[in-house]
Amino acid sequence: MGVFTYFAYFFIVFMYSVKIVKYIKLPVHLRWELYPIGHEKKSKYGGSYLEEKDWWQKPRKKNTWKSFFSLLREYFVLSDYAKRNITYWIGIYPWHIGFLLIITFHILCFVSGLLLAKGFDVSSRSLGFGSKFLYYGILITGSISFFSGMIGSIGVLMNRIFRRDLREYATPLNFLTYFFTFLVFFTGFYSWFFTDPEFKEYRIFWAGLVTQDFKDVGFWTMIHILSFDLFLIYLPFTRSLHYITRFLAFFLIRWDDEPNIPGGRLEKKLIRLFEKKVSWSAPHIQKGKKWGELARSIP
Amino acid sequence: MKIKDICKKKEKLLRLKKDEFMELPFPYNKGDFEPELRELTADQFQTIDASLDGISALGMRKPKSKEEENELVRKFISGLEKLLDPDNNWTFLMPLHHSLEYCVKCQLCSEYCPIYVSSGKKEVYRPTFRAEVLRRIIEKYVGNKGRLRLKLSGSDIELNWLTISRLGELAYRCTLCRRCAMACPLGVDNGLITREIRKIFSQEMGIAPKELHELGTMQQLRVGSSTGITPKALSNIIEFMEDDIEEKIGRRIKIPLDKDGAEVLLLHNAGEFLSWPENVEAFAIIFDIAGIDWTLSSELLGYDAVNYGVWYDDIQFTRIAIKHVEVAKKLKVKKINVGECGHAHKAMIVVADRILTEDMNIPRESALPLLKDLVVGGKLKINPQRNNFPVTLHDPCNIVRLMGIGEPQREILKRVCTDFREMEPCGVENYCCGGGSGFAIIQSLNFPDWRSSISGRMKLKQILEAFQGVISPEVKKYVCAPCSNCKGQIRDLFNYFDVNKKCGIFYGGLVELIVNALDDLKKPFIEWEWH
Repeated sequence: MGVFTYFAYFFIVFMYSVKIVKYIKLPVHLRWELYPIGHEKKSKYGGSYLEEKDWWQKPRKKNTWKSFFSLLREYFVLSDYAKRNITYWIGIYPWHIGFLLIITFHILCFVSGLLLAKGFDVSSRSLGFGSKFLYYGILITGSISFFSGMIGSIGVLMNRIFRRDLREYATPLNFLTYFFTFLVFFTGFYSWFFTDPEFKEYRIFWAGLVTQDFKDVGFWTMIHILSFDLFLIYLPFTRSLHYITRFLAFFLIRWDDEPNIPGGRLEKKLIRLFEKKVSWSAPHIQKGKKWGELARSIP
Repeated sequence: MKIKDICKKKEKLLRLKKDEFMELPFPYNKGDFEPELRELTADQFQTIDASLDGISALGMRKPKSKEEENELVRKFISGLEKLLDPDNNWTFLMPLHHSLEYCVKCQLCSEYCPIYVSSGKKEVYRPTFRAEVLRRIIEKYVGNKGRLRLKLSGSDIELNWLTISRLGELAYRCTLCRRCAMACPLGVDNGLITREIRKIFSQEMGIAPKELHELGTMQQLRVGSSTGITPKALSNIIEFMEDDIEEKIGRRIKIPLDKDGAEVLLLHNAGEFLSWPENVEAFAIIFDIAGIDWTLSSELLGYDAVNYGVWYDDIQFTRIAIKHVEVAKKLKVKKINVGECGHAHKAMIVVADRILTEDMNIPRESALPLLKDLVVGGKLKINPQRNNFPVTLHDPCNIVRLMGIGEPQREILKRVCTDFREMEPCGVENYCCGGGSGFAIIQSLNFPDWRSSISGRMKLKQILEAFQGVISPEVKKYVCAPCSNCKGQIRDLFNYFDVNKKCGIFYGGLVELIVNALDDLKKPFIEWEWH
């Protein structure tokens, strides 16, 4: 099981990385921004630097951190959903909180595994603040994550089943995902509630992973860890990367208002793209020409 | 209705009934005021496919043989492959990839779409509908996917000629206002997907509404303007406008044409010269009083800012953008200012920014900030009492939501009018006029009926609501629409519902209001003549 867990983590990191690199490496696109733009000083009402006469002669101030944190905040509140469709939000909010906390839970388990491997104690009786923090952190994030995720899985499933507009657009893969997440959170909840209320087995399992001295755990904990590992392997085949690509979409597309400055890096990239050969075959597009040649031709 | 119904043999997927459309406010909330949507004639019906909703924007011919059907399918798939290829579609592949891959189909965008809501929430007009059709076609027909993957992804659409024809029409049931994209927490843009579908049809299959392609970009590249105005005709029009200005303000103004080395090259939508010359005249009056060093151009394409390519075809878009800048280069002007034309703003200033490199990168800006500086800076003597009638502002999507220019026009209106009232919602959350993405100029078959009764319906509702307290036809009211296409759409919309007669609402541009407020003008500049 330890090797399988290693594999599952490696697999998801590898697959996500491939997808992100593929995304980032797509050619620079024509501007297609949409206002309000997070880093604009006039973002409150959706204004832009184009509201200034002779805008190219004026310094442009970008508040990238502001936009970064506004996006980050959304992960914890999902306010866009709450504002626009509260019933949908009621389903997806606990689901997403379940995901966020299960990631935190695993990170804390990993750190506690490191400490245990170094001979420290991680329990309610630990004397050090760090160990105590880890103990309670694992307890809180794990229990809330499993409960919230379990309820959320049912919520999103109900939304998809009972709302016609959601049902019609759902694919079998969506339902498989809901089932899978329910399984993961349910087994986690069951193992915590009935067999391992302090998550001791997880800490031992993670210490075993760190030292590569794999330890046996109880049946329900094992079922949960296995289902979670399988879930990690399954995730890259779903649209789950939207957690990360949301950032890319906002920074690289929706908020990409970067003007093309003569002699700049962007211009050099664009000039290279004009060399691309085009094979569209409508009558007004001459065959075999490069983009740049076509742009200066008359149909 | 199910998504897979798009490929089913059926006379119409959707039957439009006007009593199912969104209700309008007073005085349109009672009585039978709305004309029936025209059906295609029997002759048209024989040759043209309108099996989506009985409406035709594309004028798509029905294939006459199985071979023609197969050819349509082959070309569509070939176009799809090019759309997903970084060489052929570097221009928009990243945003397209994101929108195809990461939509979770939460449907938050649906309520944001004025067409979907106005139609009475018809499924085929839902912003995610056409995107999902395309997604399922790609899943099934592009690349080799295993049976399990196809099953799990729900790819159940058969790609036949009906699917293609309906999808082509569907791409012209969205104004690309991108209000849906604004609502998406994940950055998915169904408006962009719509535009990319249009590109397959135009760039690969050679199919586009004739008003956009043959009479639009092709004519513009050939004779200089999509209106058909030639450089010689332009000289005559300008002479007429100089006479008209003299008659209106009591002094003659020389409209500068082809002035070498001027500070500003002003580019108008050529539709203004023909349909709203008072807009061009008002610019000339303002620039003359303010002492701006400016010029118009009579070079091919130099007098028509429109670039319909931005709505359907990257190649045509690029060709026109480059021609515009070549005109500016030849005149050695310092910068280009775009007049009151929304899509020309976005095309020339924003989208073309990554086409115009090196010596083609001439500074380009909107005329609105300049006008604001003139009004606010006191270069013009303004008396707002001269505009003592209710005025509301329409925010053109291209200028506001897609460029972030929202305040200059408001600052102007607050200074030149006594009764300025906002529509609700406004600014970046505004609703499209219903004529966006080329709809305003598509006049063939029965599409104009659909454009007025459905795509413009939300705008009409907003306008009526803005004037509810003064809706009587005795009170003159003004919708300020600083965009040529929006004006065209509002004109047609008002004609369709007889708004001018029933409610006394008039429409026009922003500069007309500025000139009308000039303190030393002997008679009003706005003539309140319905045209």
